[in-house]
Amino acid sequence: MSQQIPLTWFLYFAAASFAIGLMGVLMRRNAIGVLMAIEIMLNAANINFIAFWRYGDVPQGEGPLTGVMMALFVITIAAAEVAVGVGLILLCYRRWRVADVDEFDTLSG
Amino acid sequence: MAHFDLLTKNDFTPILAQRMFYEQVDTVLWIRWGLYLFAGFFAVFPLIVAYIVLAERKIAARFQDRIGPNRVGPFGLLQPFADFIKLIIKESIVPKGANSFVHILAPILTLISAFLVLAVIPFGIGLAPVDLPSGLLYMVSVSSIAALSIFLAGWSSRNKYSLLGAMRGVAQLVSYEIPQVMSILPVILWSGSLSLVSIVQTQQYDQGWFLFSPPGILGFLLLLISSIAEVNRAPFDLPEAESEIIAGFHTEYSGMRFGLFFLGEYLNVFAICCLSTTLFLGGGSLPLQGYFADEADHMLVAPFDASKQSVLKLNAHHEFPENPSTGFRINITNIVGETQAFQVSHRVGNDLVLMANRPVEFKADAYSRVSAAARPSYAAPWHLSNLIMIPVFLGKVFFLVFVIFWIRATLPRVRVDRLMSFAWKTMVPLAIANIFVATIWFEMVIRPVGGFSARLLAWLVTGLLTAGAVALVFRINRNSYQANDPERRPTLISRSGDSLLAATTRGL
Amino acid sequence: MIQALFIALSAFGLLMALGTVFARNLVNAALFLVAFFFVVACQFVLLEAEFMAAIQVLIYIGAVAVLLMFGIMLTRNIQGDETTIVSRQWRLLGVGVAGSVLIVLFLGINGFKPWTDLGVRPEFPVTAETTTERGQAIIAMTPTVGREMMTRYVVPFELAGLLLTAALVGAVVLAQYDNTDEKTASAEPPQVS
Repeated sequence: MSQQIPLTWFLYFAAASFAIGLMGVLMRRNAIGVLMAIEIMLNAANINFIAFWRYGDVPQGEGPLTGVMMALFVITIAAAEVAVGVGLILLCYRRWRVADVDEFDTLSG
Repeated sequence: MAHFDLLTKNDFTPILAQRMFYEQVDTVLWIRWGLYLFAGFFAVFPLIVAYIVLAERKIAARFQDRIGPNRVGPFGLLQPFADFIKLIIKESIVPKGANSFVHILAPILTLISAFLVLAVIPFGIGLAPVDLPSGLLYMVSVSSIAALSIFLAGWSSRNKYSLLGAMRGVAQLVSYEIPQVMSILPVILWSGSLSLVSIVQTQQYDQGWFLFSPPGILGFLLLLISSIAEVNRAPFDLPEAESEIIAGFHTEYSGMRFGLFFLGEYLNVFAICCLSTTLFLGGGSLPLQGYFADEADHMLVAPFDASKQSVLKLNAHHEFPENPSTGFRINITNIVGETQAFQVSHRVGNDLVLMANRPVEFKADAYSRVSAAARPSYAAPWHLSNLIMIPVFLGKVFFLVFVIFWIRATLPRVRVDRLMSFAWKTMVPLAIANIFVATIWFEMVIRPVGGFSARLLAWLVTGLLTAGAVALVFRINRNSYQANDPERRPTLISRSGDSLLAATTRGL
Repeated sequence: MIQALFIALSAFGLLMALGTVFARNLVNAALFLVAFFFVVACQFVLLEAEFMAAIQVLIYIGAVAVLLMFGIMLTRNIQGDETTIVSRQWRLLGVGVAGSVLIVLFLGINGFKPWTDLGVRPEFPVTAETTTERGQAIIAMTPTVGREMMTRYVVPFELAGLLLTAALVGAVVLAQYDNTDEKTASAEPPQVS
């Protein structure tokens, strides 16, 4: 590529996505909606990892693929988290008959 | 570049034509690539799919002792056009409360997935539309989008039965993705690369078909069965069966929307047959072509020619630069660096470089041949080889398509819980066992570049192991199949029928 | 030209993320999320990590999105038409908090000199003479990831496997249909083998 994309552009995009995800977490009433916003935030963090890996220096003795491995493990853990989260939301739905986070307000019963 | 020197030494290659081919301007190549894409997208593949549909009807008819459509043209050959006209002039009825954007998006996603799978398959030399170095990974990713499209189809129809069919369909697709991917792993191990072009060239010039080995046979069967389940094809067509749950997830589709689903399903069938052919049947190569390579012709690297103990499996592009398997030199994922003539189709790297004890060195001279005398004599000009390779490839693909039609006409539909337990209890253990047996085959035959006796011994050993694994898995599952009667079946899930979850998972 | 492509892609991605957050119908929100995942995969391709792009599509679109759709479908009251956004004052507060986080992050990105100095991407052209380890890793990412997983990151790999197994078993146990919650329990008790 003759023209380069500066690193800060990727960081702006990731920061904006993170803020939008944060807005979703705070504003969404449905639990699955909150999960979706959390996924947006995790993806923004992944972009940050890969962007810094691509543009930065190689750390000494850490291997050539530091950022990629971190992003890979983030993806893995996000998938596991969504699975367990959906299971929990199903349980809460059975208890309270709705999937609104406003209703999930007691730990007993 | 080193490759151009090797070109001049070979008498068979029309040098001027090769140079003219490879030194074209970028814009001309983009235009040519676009035209090929356009032709393939709008003309070739829909025509193939239309005639596959006709072939299915006639073959199913012959299995049922009748003739099939023969009115419209000679032997019913114009029937696809009649079907097309009928589907277009039919009214596309969308349910009243349905989400119409999602309703039209679902068949489009299925079509997108099928076309993207077909984008990496090498139909011949110079005829792989895109030659990704990690082609198999891309293909696995793309084929997992189909599950989403089925769910969207069932959801957007606003119909309980469509939703049930869609949920069962998604469960089936997600379950059978795992044996599908795991049965591909032996192929990756043996060929040392994720690029489909390299896999075909390994089978063509080095190893012979991967089918001709016990783990290859088992892997091929696993791939075929799980791919048939992936495309919702009989006997796994519970989500879309007409007699089961009305018509499953495409109940509410009529007219051209149903036509899109139809097209997508048969295109998927064609795509998985192409995939199986490429991976296991050495797509385009004749059966015994790989066995006639001498010791000097094997893909060994010059620094290792003294001892044949350690094999450096390479991307075959570098061995035969005059036979590039992709004529479309624009590899759009390679946006680093310039798209020079040989740099794109002969990219270094992204192969699983299986080495014994050597650090990774991606040097150009490491991939060049020792001498032109050791070059195999069948390095024919690529456009002449295509005259043989394309019919052979299509012949194998259509034979597999016929086998799929055969299975559909012969076997009854599988019940949903048997389907799921077959995936998880039979195919996944067999796929894992297949990987182990494939490793044994690799260590006995491929890594030491074994000759006939090594192959025979490996056939015996791996054949026994494969048969033993199959017998063991079926024996372990025998009790659970026997205990599968509804009266005696252990239930962890209660039978109250109100909730949607209970209704869906009642069969499990 | 690549800059224009990046700007268009980023704008589209941010619109999709906004659609995820603000869509009333949950299935539409999930579809916007799928589009956002795809935009993130395209960003990975722009960053020359095509392996990550394939993994992103495979896991996020192929599995996580399907799981979220299942969750949406199993937890709805009516046909998915209920409002899912909170009331107006909470909405303003959410926008305010997110906006302030955004401003802080933008100030940090803009004013932090070591990052703005990294404007020029280190070039790794595809030539055969690229012998640095990093260059080879970028050119041939899949085998390098495999090798790293087995040598340097084998402990996180095993732990991730352990965690995934725990999540799998846990999710199955959590989502198991328990008869004690159901108000209309069937006559016969379930037989647990």
